[in-house]
Amino acid sequence: MVYVWTGLVKAIGIKYYACPGIEIPPDTPFQYLEPPDDQAHMRPDEYDELISDPTGYLYNVWLPRVTTEVRARGETTAYRNNLSFVRGSMAMLSYFHAFGDQIARLRQESGTPSALSGILKAPFDIIADKLRGYRGLCMDMFRQPQKVLAACEALTPHLLHIAASGADPQRNLPVGLWMHRGCVPFLSPDQFAKFYWPTLRQIIEGLWARGIQTLFYAEGEWNANLKYIAELPEGSIVYHIDRGDPFEVHRALVGKFCISGGVPNDLLAFGRPDDVKEYVKKLIETIGRDGGYIVDASAIMQDDTRVENVRAMTEAARLYGEY
Amino acid sequence: MPNTEPSDQPVESRQPIAPGVCLPWEIVSREWPKIEGDAELVRRVWEDLDSMAYTYIWQCLLSF
Repeated sequence: MVYVWTGLVKAIGIKYYACPGIEIPPDTPFQYLEPPDDQAHMRPDEYDELISDPTGYLYNVWLPRVTTEVRARGETTAYRNNLSFVRGSMAMLSYFHAFGDQIARLRQESGTPSALSGILKAPFDIIADKLRGYRGLCMDMFRQPQKVLAACEALTPHLLHIAASGADPQRNLPVGLWMHRGCVPFLSPDQFAKFYWPTLRQIIEGLWARGIQTLFYAEGEWNANLKYIAELPEGSIVYHIDRGDPFEVHRALVGKFCISGGVPNDLLAFGRPDDVKEYVKKLIETIGRDGGYIVDASAIMQDDTRVENVRAMTEAARLYGEY
Repeated sequence: MPNTEPSDQPVESRQPIAPGVCLPWEIVSREWPKIEGDAELVRRVWEDLDSMAYTYIWQCLLSF
């Protein structure tokens, strides 16, 4: 794995990933293992502790629970616990230091520039993905909604801080925002408006106030929420299309934000090069006709993507993408 | 009474800790002898390294 690097995952024994070549076949993308409800990484009665000190909660409660090596409060610490912090922090340094060389190689060997710098996730997604689990959080939205809202608010300044601290100092690249559990059908429109959107909007606007654009990587089907997204400040995001109808996205956001993506991954995996070229041409002639469109796959391309189809996508962009 | 880290205190007695901080300088500096040298330099180095500990746990949460 390049992102979610196995080196760090195994250095501290993160339990929620199945790694290619170790737990799953080497040609399989990594898998996230969401625990059963009663073994969620955060228990339903722990909201107050998270809200009062998110960083302390992560170190004291979350990290021991999600790793094999880190011991919890009150447990006997030993060699492997102590080693894990040295190994983990060294692994993280190695991981981030490697980016510079790899970015240079991409540019030199294939002429591909960087697409983003830094990372952001919505507060709600953090709670759903890494803390309560999606099912647990769904229960909490009904049983203790004020705690969920307070937790989203408590996480907000920290997620803004981390996103800003990893942003491109030159402000040429957007921060990557990976969207998970806010799309259809995970949340109803009312739940999206109440729980998901207010704190995420606050972070995106906070970044924009610092001159930092967000790559709004709308994984899944987000068109039901376009009316909210359209309220963001002009130019503050690049809107990346995954499964939403690209033409509907264009109608809702035209002239306000740059749009990227929209080339279906199944087309890139199972289609023919001529089909790919034709589809890219159609995208460029419609959503890209006035500029402001970046040709890209809908989602991250996996091993099933055919090289000849990537080549066809690139050639079509060069052929039809001139104004 | 020993000094304790903020996150080891009962929930209701904790003060909010700013983003970028794990163990605030205001707390740890009380545990040290009076600094005779450049206190500002010592504070800055402490906070720089503390921010790396902060980055570590939040990047574990976000990126891994």
